[in-house]
Amino acid sequence: MSGRVRRSTVLCMVIGESTGQTEPAAGQVVVRLEDVRKEYGETAALDGVSLEISAGEAVAVMGPSGCGKSTLLNMIAGLDRPTSGSVVVHGEDVGRLGEKALALYRRRHIGMIFQFFNLIDDLSALDNVALAAQLTGTPAGQARRRALELFDELGIADRRNAYPAVLSGGERQRVGVARALMNRPALLLADEPTGALDSRAGEQVMDLLLDLNQIGQTLLLVTHDERLAQRCASRLVELADGRVVGEHSLDDGEHGLTEDEKNDAHSLGRTA
Amino acid sequence: MSAVWRAARGAVRRRRIQTFVIGLVVLMSTGTIVVALGLLDAASAPFDRAFGKQRGAHAVALFDSGRVSDSQLTRAARQPGVEAASGPFRRAVLELPRKTASSFGMDTGMAVVGRAAPGGPVDRLDLWAGRWADRPGEIVLNRAHGWGTDELGKQLEVPGGPSLTVVGYAFSLSRSADAWVAPGQITGLRPTTTQMLFRFNDSSTASWIRAGLSAVTEELPSDSLTASQSYLTIKRQIGSSANAYAPYLMTFGVLGIVVAVLIVANVVGGAVISGFRHIGILKAIGFTPGQVLAIYLTMVSVPAVVGCVLGTVAGNLLARPLLEFAFTGPDAGVMHSSVGGVPTWVNAVALLGLPSVVVLAAFFPASRAHRMSAARAISAGSAQRAGRALRIQRRLASSRLPRSVSLGLGLPFARPGRSALTLAAVVLGVTTVTFATGLATTMHRFGSVGEDAYQVVVYAGTFKDGREVDPEHSDRDLQSLLRSLPGASEVTARGYAHVRVAGYPQGVGVEGRRGDRTDLGDVLVEGRWMRDAGEIVAPTPFLRERDLKVGDRILLEKGGHRERVTVVGEAMAGNSRTVYSNWSTMIAVSPEEEAIAYHVRLADGADTAAYMAAARAADAGISPTANGPNAITQTIVGSASVLTLMLAAVASLGVFNTVVLNTRERRRDLGMLKSIGMTPRQVTVMMVSSMAALGLAGSLLGIPLGILGHHLIVPEMTDAVDLALPAYMTDVWQPSALTALAFAGLTITSVGALVPSRRAARLTIAEVLHNE
Repeated sequence: MSGRVRRSTVLCMVIGESTGQTEPAAGQVVVRLEDVRKEYGETAALDGVSLEISAGEAVAVMGPSGCGKSTLLNMIAGLDRPTSGSVVVHGEDVGRLGEKALALYRRRHIGMIFQFFNLIDDLSALDNVALAAQLTGTPAGQARRRALELFDELGIADRRNAYPAVLSGGERQRVGVARALMNRPALLLADEPTGALDSRAGEQVMDLLLDLNQIGQTLLLVTHDERLAQRCASRLVELADGRVVGEHSLDDGEHGLTEDEKNDAHSLGRTA
Repeated sequence: MSAVWRAARGAVRRRRIQTFVIGLVVLMSTGTIVVALGLLDAASAPFDRAFGKQRGAHAVALFDSGRVSDSQLTRAARQPGVEAASGPFRRAVLELPRKTASSFGMDTGMAVVGRAAPGGPVDRLDLWAGRWADRPGEIVLNRAHGWGTDELGKQLEVPGGPSLTVVGYAFSLSRSADAWVAPGQITGLRPTTTQMLFRFNDSSTASWIRAGLSAVTEELPSDSLTASQSYLTIKRQIGSSANAYAPYLMTFGVLGIVVAVLIVANVVGGAVISGFRHIGILKAIGFTPGQVLAIYLTMVSVPAVVGCVLGTVAGNLLARPLLEFAFTGPDAGVMHSSVGGVPTWVNAVALLGLPSVVVLAAFFPASRAHRMSAARAISAGSAQRAGRALRIQRRLASSRLPRSVSLGLGLPFARPGRSALTLAAVVLGVTTVTFATGLATTMHRFGSVGEDAYQVVVYAGTFKDGREVDPEHSDRDLQSLLRSLPGASEVTARGYAHVRVAGYPQGVGVEGRRGDRTDLGDVLVEGRWMRDAGEIVAPTPFLRERDLKVGDRILLEKGGHRERVTVVGEAMAGNSRTVYSNWSTMIAVSPEEEAIAYHVRLADGADTAAYMAAARAADAGISPTANGPNAITQTIVGSASVLTLMLAAVASLGVFNTVVLNTRERRRDLGMLKSIGMTPRQVTVMMVSSMAALGLAGSLLGIPLGILGHHLIVPEMTDAVDLALPAYMTDVWQPSALTALAFAGLTITSVGALVPSRRAARLTIAEVLHNE
């Protein structure tokens, strides 16, 4: 555990603070869904979902295929709009934002990790990551320097010039995580982040997500993998047929450092 | 319905835009190719058929009857190399009064040959009306089939000679005579030359024909050959209009085919790449590699065949009026009734050839689908591709350009094959626009010649109630009258005398000019305008046909009058039978001539219609006509503009198609980019930038190619009608025009890219990423 604490501390320094305009205090609600409904034609993918996520929390959403997990994630990420109800993230009603405002919202507040990585084949790993910062107007050199720092910390610095096609699954997902962290998002969303990985690579990604949460990164996981949920999340939300059918606290297992360790890491991150 | 057809039909439905683009471009290229090939065929095939049927003379030779005997000519015709010969025939030139000549539809100098029968080994005349002149007092006129028989039975009064009854009409494609009489009659017409008609074993080139004539005349007294005429000259004159249209239509057609090939290769290549998973599934469920290949080939064959059939129909419809237009006038008009329409072989070539080209273009990219194993195809559908052009991408990423722009500029390097095909389509589009713009400018300048020189032509004489009415005023009074009417600025009288040029069998017209201008808006390509008596200016075809140049002297003859003149200038005009002189030169060979028309230049702001009305009121025996635009140049400018617009539209559609394919293939990337904060505007900028780069490169390559095409094709067209254009008509490229053209590529690509780019910007991210 002590090794992870040291790594978390460095990671915290690299990741730094969220670019969100006002940094929420730990425990403050950053995501609030109220009676969210999403219909695709006749089918309701989400049917009156209400949910709150607080700053620094790690929440796992589980449920059978087609229960609405990814739809819920898309609503919060601003990738899709609810048919009714409200999705408020950092005080912004995501469903009411225009296309451009949604893009800016995603840049500022959201980091997204995908099951199939979604890297651009024609860009090197480093350029894939730097791209996220460059879209916000960060100069190329500065973006690349920051991307390199993340690569160093995620242990893939030697693969920075490789194309996605020659990276292993675990390496690709680390690049995906680095890209998600590039703009210091207030909220990290992960859609089946280990779903396309072998068990060893999956373990590595689990460790990474755990480390991130331990330094205060708010995390929402969508997964089928109970081990991932147990290990990385502090709370489990169960969905079935588009409804929340259960919520559980997950304080056992490997999740969570001691409060002192968390506070140490958090305070280091804020002073970095 | 077979499984292949069902799958192919589904592929066509999924690719409506591409199907439309392929169909349209094939339609357009087929149409232009059909018209161009139809014209090329018409320029030679009907002549060759008719000439072969008549066993036309490869050379019509005239010998001085005083220097060579009939027996010498008969022996000469047995020289090696002579396939067949007809003659000797006595030949006389009758000088007819203008009214007599025009009432029989003939020139005033009528060449008459004494011949016993219309048949023979060479120049078998087509006696299409009446009968042959078997007895003295009868004459048969040379006239093409279908040009009317009104003069049959009429008496032709020869001044100082017999009265001849028109008993028939015969047509000689060799132009061996204007009329024929019985051998017993010709002596009464005072013949001065003897005609021999030769067919040679080798007659394919002018030099072979010259060689044949040299062999024939080798043992004859020197200078006994007074004139000769090659059938190649006649063939060239008849096909000149058709040959003028053919080069640029063929250019457009070939450009269209190349664009079609590029687009088809692009569409099928894109369909195969983006359909890897689909191919894998097809193979997994039991489609053989051959069936998969057949699906992709059928997919492009459907629009190709439809476009080809419609293009062939359109080409046939367009060719008919163009052929009728090209085969009018004194030379080409003789074949007017022989040129039916587009020949069957052209339609067969179009209907079989174009779809074959398209299928061949599709075959190579589609064969990738054929070779690919099912497992690899399925995995390739989801596996990531290796990236390309790392250095370029990195440099662009490090540049100061907005990231959406630098990402867009990097896209063409990621798909070099497709980018090369698109670039080629854009290059061809810009080449076409450049070429056609230059062509239109040249033709416009050509057509504008003479516009400023005169606005009204007043013809002496008019028709009223079916009768010819003469002017009320004398020639010179009429010129003064027209000059005095309100609005007139300059008046130039134009006379016309039909004379013979010593050494050449065909007669020529001398156009004498009197009054304010000598040029009447004609453009000189060499030399100067005539200033004194004894000087002429000749059009380029006149000089080329007779192998003359500026500075040469020729002898003009009419009746007992002879005038030696010097060619002092070469004029740009398409007439091989007329030369220009001042009035005194014309009068020297034909003293009785009067003006046949008056060319009036109006003062600035004068009303053309008002002047014409005033002229009619001043003399009821004249016909004022406004100077209209040139029909040929209008046709070329109009058709070139339409074809340019179509090809530019097709090139844009090619780009449009590429962006659609890129968008479809990059849906996942676009979704991801939007998920990390790329705005819709940035997506549009990125996709348009990717095509704009190709547009700029296309302009840089296409403009020089278009200019080169203009420099190659325009001389081909003008050569066909024996025109030499002055530099100001061919040097049409100004910096401003080139700058405007440089935007052509950018415009083509930007317009083509905008719509699919905006569609890409509106992609729903969740849907795109979910589909993965």
